[in-house]
Amino acid sequence: MILARRVALLGLVLVCSVLASVGCGSGGSAGQAGRTVVIFWQFFPTEQVQPVLDEFMKQNPDIEVRMEQLTWQSGLEKITAAVAAGNAPDLCELGSTWFPGFAHGGALADWSDSAAALETSLTGWDMARVKGKTYGLPWLVGTRALFWNKELFARAGIDTTRGPSTWAELTDAARKVNALGDGVAGWGANAGERYVLFKKVMPFAWGAGGSLLSADGTASAFDSPANVEGVTQYLALAKLGRVDRQEQIDDAFLAGKVGATISGSWILRKAPKQEPALRFGVSLVPPPELDRGTSASFLGGELLVSFAKSKNQAGAWRLAKFLVSKEPSLAVARVNQAVQPAAVGAIDDPFYASDPNQRVLLEQLATAVPTPNHPKWLDMEAAIEDEVEKALYGKVTAAAAVTAASAKIDALAKAAQAK
Amino acid sequence: MSAPAAVRRKPRKVEASTWILLAPWIVALLFFGVYPFGFSFVLSFFDYSPLSPDSARFLGLANYAEALRDPLFWKALGNTLLFVFGTIPFTTGLALLLALALDGAFRGRDLYRAGFFLPTVVSVVVISLVWKGLYSPEGPLSWLVRAFGGTPPSWLLDERTALPAIMAMDVWAASGYYMIIFLAGLKGIPVELHEAAALEGASRSDRFWHITLPLLAPTFLFVLVVNSIRSLQIFTEVFVMTRGGPLQSTLTSVFYLYEQAFYKFRLGYASSIAYLLFALTLVLAWLQVKWLKLEGPKS
Amino acid sequence: MSAHATGRRHDAIGGVPGFVPWLLLPALATMLVPFAWMVFLSLQPGAGGQLDASRIADAKFDLVHYRELLAAGAFPRYLLNSIVVALAVVFGNVLTGAMVGYALARKRFPGNRALTWGVIATLMVPKQVLMIPLYLVLARLGWLDTYAALILPFFVDAFSIFLVRQYVLALPAELEDAARVDGASELRIFATIVLPLLRPALAVVAINGFLLNWNSFLFPLIFTNSDALRTLPVGLALFAQGEHATDWGLLMAGSTVSVLPMLAAFLLFQRQILEGMTAGAEKG
Repeated sequence: MILARRVALLGLVLVCSVLASVGCGSGGSAGQAGRTVVIFWQFFPTEQVQPVLDEFMKQNPDIEVRMEQLTWQSGLEKITAAVAAGNAPDLCELGSTWFPGFAHGGALADWSDSAAALETSLTGWDMARVKGKTYGLPWLVGTRALFWNKELFARAGIDTTRGPSTWAELTDAARKVNALGDGVAGWGANAGERYVLFKKVMPFAWGAGGSLLSADGTASAFDSPANVEGVTQYLALAKLGRVDRQEQIDDAFLAGKVGATISGSWILRKAPKQEPALRFGVSLVPPPELDRGTSASFLGGELLVSFAKSKNQAGAWRLAKFLVSKEPSLAVARVNQAVQPAAVGAIDDPFYASDPNQRVLLEQLATAVPTPNHPKWLDMEAAIEDEVEKALYGKVTAAAAVTAASAKIDALAKAAQAK
Repeated sequence: MSAPAAVRRKPRKVEASTWILLAPWIVALLFFGVYPFGFSFVLSFFDYSPLSPDSARFLGLANYAEALRDPLFWKALGNTLLFVFGTIPFTTGLALLLALALDGAFRGRDLYRAGFFLPTVVSVVVISLVWKGLYSPEGPLSWLVRAFGGTPPSWLLDERTALPAIMAMDVWAASGYYMIIFLAGLKGIPVELHEAAALEGASRSDRFWHITLPLLAPTFLFVLVVNSIRSLQIFTEVFVMTRGGPLQSTLTSVFYLYEQAFYKFRLGYASSIAYLLFALTLVLAWLQVKWLKLEGPKS
Repeated sequence: MSAHATGRRHDAIGGVPGFVPWLLLPALATMLVPFAWMVFLSLQPGAGGQLDASRIADAKFDLVHYRELLAAGAFPRYLLNSIVVALAVVFGNVLTGAMVGYALARKRFPGNRALTWGVIATLMVPKQVLMIPLYLVLARLGWLDTYAALILPFFVDAFSIFLVRQYVLALPAELEDAARVDGASELRIFATIVLPLLRPALAVVAINGFLLNWNSFLFPLIFTNSDALRTLPVGLALFAQGEHATDWGLLMAGSTVSVLPMLAAFLLFQRQILEGMTAGAEKG
């Protein structure tokens, strides 16, 4: 009984204090002294974005921005639930992979008219458009490039003044590094997770001239010799190293256990903190041959969108326009280091002149390819990953994997067409 | 095995006090139980995207029919059942053994209890992240295999070992929890019964089989049912460690319906999978009740 | 009967053979390896997520992540929120679990069986599909982004009710019947006779409720927006888990810190499980 009484008393006190504070946390939509409120949800750490928002509020004294940082874990569920309840924020950051689902689902505000004026000052518009309409502004973009370990290359007797410039050179380097033994892998290949392997295989397939969908998006164009060539090259590299998940490969690369891998600029931020002594190079993904193919890569990014049911769409647009402009987006990119601005002319900033590795990623953006904004895109990406993974595990040949993935993509495209 | 004393009681009319005892549950049930439950059940008959709730379309049983034709649904269900039947015997057995061992008094027992309970207090997300590291090629498990001269498998990246690896982690993480429930159950058994039996010369194992185990039956049922329900909904471990891969070898039912609901925005279809899983869970729980011949007061 | 005498008596009839603790020692050691690693990582100034056996030897130890954690101004607030929410939910779970669980086990009323199965059934639907409907309820009640959203949906807990019901089924009913013969009211019987008997089960309910809510991530994340209402797991995910990078040191430091209150709660309540023993025999 003593326990029961103690627990009951404690509980009572707590419940009373909680009931007293109910409502104290909820923000009203009216700002202070006649200012309108813009609710902005985004994923970057608060300290990286808040200075830019403060600057915006200084320039726009009639707007109060209330920013909430979302978590990468389950952030998507939070946005989805808010949209379902008509409770969406005014402005929201959406990854380019998530964008097609929201745009085709009819959840986003149509910005086609107002965005036209920004046409020439931003890149990456393909990411933000669906069926000829613009539903977002490209804010920060990111791509993947080739990261290679200079120490291991030197030990294996490979030229370390420049990165591998063709597939043959790359394969040769991976083979030599892999032969060093001692737990060192020549290449780091991805498997065992969603929406990653695609970004690593397609640079080779695109580089050989492959594509995903027909120009009008109604049929698959995946079953081509170029794609088979690209997948074959990736499988060859995978045999010369280890197959693992992204974060494990990144860690192994930083620990000096991987000769080369395709990764993103987050490595540039992690390396000084985790392994300051690591000597590595960054270069463009090599084309098949010097005079054939391109240095392709995957183009992804963060878009700013407003929802059809957002309360303050006008304020959201003003904030979005400010955030994507050159200086504010550069300010975020400089501290974050894992993304580059979508704003045209950002490359002229002294930051990129002083950091050659960051500059390579910015150069890689020029030949990077965005994924189609098809309503069934995530299913198509999954189809490619499932089939290529089968080939990676030796279940089927590269050609069979490409044909099977293409059949699935075609079925998805046709089904979407019929709807 | 017979149900304990509670059931041998004369019928009486329903008293007001019964309703007072039940009132809080019923109010909360309506708001936070019945409504979401009913809502999502209704959704399972609709083509419903949370992004455009206004354009929901009634489909009848089409979602259920699609699920039953969907090879990935069956693949996920197969993996889930493998997980359930591959972990529960070990978790339950280990928990019971630990509870029996840690029930009696000995020096340092509280520390032992705390030690075995420790995995339960860490969030599943963190546990999964830690084990992901333990299973990495440089991790201690691979190191141990190499130390004994073997070639370590690639654990989470091999379709044959990925699911068993997650199952092993689950047994590790869950046993201490059910141990505590068994410990509480053991405390409900009157010492007098043991004393009387001991006086009549019953051996330790006699007393275990004829007193402890029968009287532990309701606890046993509770552990089985709760663990089955939890295991059938295995999600976070997969979400953090493998995302269903490689080659769908760790795709579980709830992970699959999560992908449908939040990557493909097919909440209706996801709900139909959830209610198929619900039906299966209900059957399994009912079988467990029948098997242990345990029911409440007969009305 | 004093706890000491109880322990000795129990010992006399069910004492543990002397070799058992030694037998359990290796098992316990295995149990602790992942924690050792968690703490180890939390003390590494710049480590990735992998444990490379060959690098342990030259590891450096540093409290930098713990300082980082404390320097983050919001951390004490997250901690406080977690404590308030977990304790309030535990209170609800214990109270309603005892009342409803007892009624379902002992009382005959129309729909008892249906209600029992109904209670269990609510556990059987994955929360991934219940989340949006529940969010809609809270939005309609105007409770989003308040403490109410963090506490009230979890105040009555099916698991706790089911646990208490099963526990009561195993208890002899004679004590209650005797009190009834003496003319005690049903509520009085519940408060003075049943509740003390339920102590071990309620201790488990309390531990379980604390545990679940202490580590709960998805619902607190989705139901609140203000930084002032964030709980520890949500705050940690914000600090330490980026899109492409987990800040292992910080995450593990935060997890280590968040384990401590749980351990304290466990040590507090497991005593109740122990002392609750043979409470029925005391009176009888």
